[in-house]
Amino acid sequence: MTTFLSFVLKETRHILRDTRTVLILFGMPLVMMLLFGFAISNDIQNVRVALVASSADASTQRIVERINASEYFTVTHVVGSPAEAERLMRSRKADMAVVFSQRFASHAHDNTAALQVITDAVEPNTSVQQSSYLQQVVQAGVVGGSSPVNTSLLYNPQMRSAYNFVPGIMGLLLMIICAMMTAVSIVREKERGTMEVLLVSPVSPLMVMAAKAVPYFVLSMLILVCILLLSTFVLDVPVAGSVFWIFFVSLLYILMALSLGLLISVVAQTQLVAILVSAMLLLMPSIMLSGMIYPVESMPSVLQWICQIIPAKWYISAMRKLMIMGLGVGMIWREITVLASITCLLLVVALRKFNNRL
Amino acid sequence: MNAIEVSDVSKSYGSVLALDRVSLSVERGEMMGLIGPDGSGKTTLFRILTTLLLPDSGTATVEGFDTVSQLSRIRRRVGYMPGSFSLYQDLTVEENLKFFATLFHTTVAEGYDNIRAIYSQIEPFRHRRAGALSGGMKQKLALSCALVHRPTVLFLDEPTTGVDPVSRRELFDMLMPLREQGVTILVSTPYLEEVRRCDRVAFLSRGSILGTGTPDYILSRFASVFCPEPLSHDEDEALRKADNVIEVSHLVKAFGTFHAVDDISFSVHRGEIFGFLGANGAGKTTAMRCLTGLSSPTSGNGRVAGFDICTQSEQIKRHIGYMSQRFSLYQDLTVRENIRLFAGIYGMRGKVVGEKTDRLLESLQFTSHADTLVSSLPLGWKQKLAFSVSIFHEPEVVFLDEPTGGVDPATRRQFWQLIYDASSRGITVFVTTHYMDEADYCDRVSIMVDGKISALGSPEELKRRFQQPDMDSLFTYLARQAVRT
Repeated sequence: MTTFLSFVLKETRHILRDTRTVLILFGMPLVMMLLFGFAISNDIQNVRVALVASSADASTQRIVERINASEYFTVTHVVGSPAEAERLMRSRKADMAVVFSQRFASHAHDNTAALQVITDAVEPNTSVQQSSYLQQVVQAGVVGGSSPVNTSLLYNPQMRSAYNFVPGIMGLLLMIICAMMTAVSIVREKERGTMEVLLVSPVSPLMVMAAKAVPYFVLSMLILVCILLLSTFVLDVPVAGSVFWIFFVSLLYILMALSLGLLISVVAQTQLVAILVSAMLLLMPSIMLSGMIYPVESMPSVLQWICQIIPAKWYISAMRKLMIMGLGVGMIWREITVLASITCLLLVVALRKFNNRL
Repeated sequence: MNAIEVSDVSKSYGSVLALDRVSLSVERGEMMGLIGPDGSGKTTLFRILTTLLLPDSGTATVEGFDTVSQLSRIRRRVGYMPGSFSLYQDLTVEENLKFFATLFHTTVAEGYDNIRAIYSQIEPFRHRRAGALSGGMKQKLALSCALVHRPTVLFLDEPTTGVDPVSRRELFDMLMPLREQGVTILVSTPYLEEVRRCDRVAFLSRGSILGTGTPDYILSRFASVFCPEPLSHDEDEALRKADNVIEVSHLVKAFGTFHAVDDISFSVHRGEIFGFLGANGAGKTTAMRCLTGLSSPTSGNGRVAGFDICTQSEQIKRHIGYMSQRFSLYQDLTVRENIRLFAGIYGMRGKVVGEKTDRLLESLQFTSHADTLVSSLPLGWKQKLAFSVSIFHEPEVVFLDEPTGGVDPATRRQFWQLIYDASSRGITVFVTTHYMDEADYCDRVSIMVDGKISALGSPEELKRRFQQPDMDSLFTYLARQAVRT
């Protein structure tokens, strides 16, 4: 036990004495959370609208006021013809256009009054979002406001992208810190030649690995707490579900990442290789294929199959259910099972591959 | 029962045969030297004995335990110091020692008697990080770490490479009492004075043991390798022009309050071979950096190849050559590509380069290896090639930083023949080395102690002045006067 503790102490010292790495480890979550929370967002804001209205009657006026009053849209131009509106959009002076049909108000009751919404579909997601927002705004303003379609946004009524990104960032950061840092710290000992001496000692190599994992495990937990605090108090993303289960699933995910790091360190002989393998194998798929940014459901079916083996996908999905939707643990048994199986598989392979000789 | 018993061990890496049916036995309490050129299989043998590698065939036992089936018993009993100092650079001296003690389920207090003689020398610096220690101190710390659990067999793989003569001698002085306690020691070394201190020596070459016996027996039997004919170097006074290629006066380089180079003055004539000696940490490297334009001095001034070291470092770099043991050639380029690259760096024209390359390869007898990757050449060849590349652009002066580490005396002698050739063509040679036989090859040497030059003159003149029999004792005599650490 003393040996184990002295190992843990040594690893902790390695981490703490490398001030730059510590700064990066704690700075990265902060920067990513703030970036994704405030700067990079899919939220619709300040959309410049060009109106095409031939008559300025009361009904039209009401709709225009409603559009202007909403926080998403600002009416910047009022023009006479759709062609003019299109010109404005082409010269990037307006983002979308709303065209009222001729004598809009007088036809309000004979079903011939019509509105045309023109959007810039270069960015399809944004375009769809803009037009659907606008429809909601307008619909409420059309006579009586009665419409058969009534949309209700569950779990994220303001449609804030932070709700989506927080679980994603958790999945990404925990993966980087656990897997990459563990792999690098083991491979560094190989490179520096200290591994030779460790192997020639009576200490079991398994203990060496376990002791290496402990400080990174603790570090990951600290970072997890940081992320949750940031998301609750700075980004106003409430933790809807049980904190206990959030930590439980995260713990499982961290274990998975640690065994992945161990596996990488068995294969890699130099720190450079370890970093490249971690980046290619972990980072890219965790960002692209985990559903963090792009929804898995809209990918081609081959990619969807690949997505199923990305651990981050299951973790992020579990976190969305637990944190954002506030579901109970009963709803995430599938995610837990998959993560646990991946962990077992990785551990078995890593331990079998691990050689107690050079 | 012998402490170490190796019978018919072979080991190959792919198609390369590293050990070819090696047999060796070492008695308990014996100090066995393992000598042989770089790449002869010494490290492989060490790794098999320390259970790190599996032999392809044959058996090896340590203290009666088989290295394949009884590895955990061996791992409890041996101490091992691999070639590179296996210390944690970011831990302090004390933390390193404590860590290695717990690694072997013991404590520093329990093992202290065993390491007292060694550790007491570095104990004053126990709060310093291992990375900030000098080579000699790192070596003492690594040895303390390998001894703290009182091993009965000690494996030392080139423990003194890159360490100055005084620290080397101190290390071997420390090994002697261990032998009296019955500790078996297997040590590899490229230095002859250390070979002579072993009880027996095994000479390993290209994976086979060519002979085993007392140091005198081996050194005389393989005299052509270990004791080559001394080089004849006739001082051609006609070539020695009176002008100085290097002139340094009152050079100081300080880091904070620490004067790494403390007011040195000397000059080197054209075509001279100047040996720049000093213990690790005496300030050699810092002084050399100032001379090659890599670092600007704090005060004082100097001229190299006619250019001022404070203001014209770019011109200096164009007119000098540089070779160091740590970096000399790109391993993943071929011989010809390396030559072309370095010629290109110094702005030589393509046509001239081609002709000159052919001539060089011919004179080195490398023509058939022109398109071989440098990494697959023997170390001795690499060093010769690296030197030839460093003077390929005909610099006025070439700086050699410990150019001949890890090769046998005969190969070093061939290297020095190249140096003499260059010098006779009028190229000034400025060389640092830890081999004192090489110091004898120089026209003049300076010995740095604590940042100052404490002796300067021809080897003969210095030996007379300080009344020392050879360069080794002269160096030890002067370096022991050092006060700073």
